Amino acid sequence: MIEHAIKLALRNFMRHKNSFFINLSGLSTGLACTLLIFLWVRDELRVDKIFENDDRLFQVMEHQDYSDGILTTNSTPGPLGMSLEEEIPEIELAATYLYPASYNLQVGEEKLRAVGTYAGKNYFKIFDYPLMTGSAVDILAGANNIAISETLAGSLFGSVEEAMGQSIEYEGSDIYSVSGVFKDLPSNSTQQFDFLLPYEPFYQENIEWMSNWESNFPNTAIRLKKGAQAAVVNGKIKDFIKGKAENSRVSLFLQSYSGRYLYGRYQNGKQVGGRIEYVWLFSLIALFILLIACINFMNLSTARASRRAKEVGVKKTIGAGKKALVIQFLSESIILSFLSLLIAVGLAGLALPQFNLITAKEIELHFDPGMIGVLVAISLITGIIAGSYPAFYLSSFRPISVLKGTLRSSMGELWVRRGLVVFQFALSFILIVAVVIVYKQIQFIQDQGPGYDKEQLVYFNRDGRLEEQSTAFFTKAKTMDGVQNISSIGHNLVGQQNNTRGVEWDGKDPEMTLLFENVRINYDLLETIGVEFKEGRSFSRSFGRDSSAVIFNEKAVEIMGMKDPIGQRVRIHGEEKEIIGVVKDFHFQSFRQEINPLFFQLSPENSWFMMASLEKGKEKKGLENLKSLYEEFNPGFAFDFEFLDEQYARQYAAEQRVASLSRYFAGFAILISCLGLFGLSVFTAERRKKEIGIRKVLGASVTQILSLLTKEFAQIVLWSILIGFPIAYVLSKNWLDRFVYRIDLAIWFFVLTAVLMILIAVVTVSSQAFQAARVDPKKYLRSE
Amino acid sequence: MIQTKELSKVYRTDEVETTALNKVDIQIKEGEFVSIMGPSGCGKSTLLNILGLIDSPSSGSYQFLDTEVANFSERQRSKLRKQNIGFIFQSFNLIDELTVFENVELPLIYNQVSSSDRKKRVEETLEKMNMMHRAKHFPQQLSGGQQQRVAVARAIINDPKLILADEPTGNLDTSNGNDVMKTLVALNEAGATIVMVTHSQFCAEFGDRIIRLLDGQVVTENLLKKQKQML
Ligand SMILES: Nc1ncnc2c1ncn2[C@@H]1O[C@H](COP(=O)(O)OP(=O)(O)O)[C@@H](O)[C@H]1O
Ligand SMILES: [Mg+2]
Repeated sequence: MIEHAIKLALRNFMRHKNSFFINLSGLSTGLACTLLIFLWVRDELRVDKIFENDDRLFQVMEHQDYSDGILTTNSTPGPLGMSLEEEIPEIELAATYLYPASYNLQVGEEKLRAVGTYAGKNYFKIFDYPLMTGSAVDILAGANNIAISETLAGSLFGSVEEAMGQSIEYEGSDIYSVSGVFKDLPSNSTQQFDFLLPYEPFYQENIEWMSNWESNFPNTAIRLKKGAQAAVVNGKIKDFIKGKAENSRVSLFLQSYSGRYLYGRYQNGKQVGGRIEYVWLFSLIALFILLIACINFMNLSTARASRRAKEVGVKKTIGAGKKALVIQFLSESIILSFLSLLIAVGLAGLALPQFNLITAKEIELHFDPGMIGVLVAISLITGIIAGSYPAFYLSSFRPISVLKGTLRSSMGELWVRRGLVVFQFALSFILIVAVVIVYKQIQFIQDQGPGYDKEQLVYFNRDGRLEEQSTAFFTKAKTMDGVQNISSIGHNLVGQQNNTRGVEWDGKDPEMTLLFENVRINYDLLETIGVEFKEGRSFSRSFGRDSSAVIFNEKAVEIMGMKDPIGQRVRIHGEEKEIIGVVKDFHFQSFRQEINPLFFQLSPENSWFMMASLEKGKEKKGLENLKSLYEEFNPGFAFDFEFLDEQYARQYAAEQRVASLSRYFAGFAILISCLGLFGLSVFTAERRKKEIGIRKVLGASVTQILSLLTKEFAQIVLWSILIGFPIAYVLSKNWLDRFVYRIDLAIWFFVLTAVLMILIAVVTVSSQAFQAARVDPKKYLRSE
Repeated sequence: MIQTKELSKVYRTDEVETTALNKVDIQIKEGEFVSIMGPSGCGKSTLLNILGLIDSPSSGSYQFLDTEVANFSERQRSKLRKQNIGFIFQSFNLIDELTVFENVELPLIYNQVSSSDRKKRVEETLEKMNMMHRAKHFPQQLSGGQQQRVAVARAIINDPKLILADEPTGNLDTSNGNDVMKTLVALNEAGATIVMVTHSQFCAEFGDRIIRLLDGQVVTENLLKKQKQML
């Protein structure tokens, strides 16, 4: 029976090439999209789930309580890890580590820059990245140890074997000796570095500020003992820091280490999702696209029903049961779905490089048994969903009415089919609206800019001799072609980096605790980045005492409640400072956040980034000149710069990715929906030919018929817009709400989308409508 | 009212030529009731379609209401048709998606009758066909006999001069068939010209005469005594 079903299925495909082609292209595109999304989702879910004791690994997090809300961060006091390990019995191991950054390494004549940081001695015990040489126990135990990656070992020493025990010069001063080589970190690890230095010696060296329980800098990760309850530990560590520093406003909690990637967003002390929302969003999109493709199949199959009705009638008359017929139709759709799967795998394979580029992933198509299982399951389910309605619809034809030619579709069936298309188009509508709004918001952020000229700004480390000889460097750089201005700063102006509660002013409520961003800068910095002044002046060499001056942003002045700020005095960390200027607010954080209070202090020593503005149109020249000047000052150092622009854009990388991905997927969804609409127009033409014939006999003109047909489709599209509108509205409002600075949810987004959809629909159905309207009535009036 | 001379219809499909009508000469006067009989495939429906201006002849002349219409365009035929001709089919040809009321209303819509007028006339006609109680039903909810009564209502709503019926009783049982015949006879007595194709001798004999077709040609014409009294 199965054999017979397959034979019939293939024959049917050949006979109805058009609808076979529409179904095949729709389903394979849909399956390809689903497959890509599946790969992406699987990859997201696996991020950081790479350690043996995943369920016992936790990140120690802080809730910091301020007057304007709770700030949640993974920055912790320097001694926290060591103390937790000692004092909390359930905590087996703790490791402290810093944010990786780019440093100069040198071996003999070989110099390069690599990304590294300091990490506690237990680091490799907690995070069991595979080691090629060395042991997790002592790899970071010695004060001069350095652990390097396989690639770094290769580039510095030629091979992993030769690297062990060799010396590396770090930042032109300290010498470290290679104590182990780890395999290159997998791309689904959120921590990425080429080398690690031991944390404990670093801590001892900087003990004065590192041991302060009220400052927060490194990250702390812990491993619980087997069987220990995270909830119990949470209770014990909640007020741990308050026990060390009376005035602390910090409470600690554990977050699953691998969970923090997907659940990374906190609002006022509450976990409010994070990337997991995009996982859900794309899973939903995959489901939608697949459903849209399935609906196409349903519509086209039922559209052909009248042609197949005879087959059903005859088969039933000669004794085929309903079950046999259901099997036949289902096997048809399942075969089609597997054919589509083959094409979809090919399509996904072709699209994967581009897809990886957009998503910044390194996904590969591996056909392990699990993957094959999932693929087979998806196609099977798709085949069953797509085939179920046609199967039951067709097999429930009563043979007598089929054979007598009195078969007609009931109102119910028509409504099901229309409903399916309305559903399809409602989904498409939601997707288009979402794409338009995400695009507009990203555009808004980009156009709006932070409030200074980020396009022409580059920054690089004040490495080596640049620190002592900065004046000479600035003087030379300023005369160079392509360089407009240059200065230095202790902050790259992207994100919160250095904040303090230590600002006092007259009339401040003693209970009030507020974080101010503290930006240390050199002369000329504000001119270099082009921040606008609201009042007052910038730091200037012509005023002798500017080291005791401070410049606030508008927000800070507003919060401090100062009427006439210029000339007033505040105390910062107990030191008295005079306000000499107020700059207009600019975005140094994400658009998701309200602009926070900020101040600039003159502190050339602590301004360890060089910040240069390049001349428009001469960026390349300017960069080349800076590079050669840098190398003149630091022979052998690699010039490593970053455009502020790119750094700025990186804050919205997730949104950018979501935006471009959703653009593609929405495009496909619409394409597939249009295939479906075309299918329905074929169906309608087929179904209504007789009706049109009758109407024409009774005197209807071609125009009257055309408007009749178009009305049906217009109604479908209008319904889908009506249904899609509130859903699209709520979804986009929700998404936009996470930005404090955002576009207005204008009605024209929806109107534009609606018009676009109607246009697409009209173009899609017009050919069939014209054909149907020109129907020769007498052909459809026969009694047979 | 109807006069054809050497009316022929040839169908060409992929090399094959079928002569559905071969030089048919007929004449039908206003107020006549003519039955057409003949074996399956002899061209009855083709003739009816041409007479009803749904189709055009391949050659020959056809004068309808003293106008030569053989070479009329679809638009011209459509105009004449909707004003003067009503159709009744074996398979009823009601539109499934429309209610009884809407089905009957259609010819009036295409003749640009105002909506208040339409309502009045549809109700009158349905009343006459004894279908008013079913006005809001859909065709599938009716029996075959009831559907044909709706089809008849639709055919006569416009007071057509000519009613064409292609095997109107073919799908009906005897009693429903007799009802339809009664209606046709009544319409004829009220002045309508009727041309009816039928396979049943009994039904055919309600006509004033029978035209017999064979292989696209008229073979005989019988004048009949009326048997209306039999009903
Ligand atoms: N559209 C058409 N194309 C080709 N041949 C046709 C077409 N319509 C009718 N015929 C042929 O013309 C002949 C007369 O058909 P028809 O008028 O329907 O016969 P009847 O109604 O008497 O049964 C038949 O042989 C039929 O096969
Ligand atoms: Mg016939």
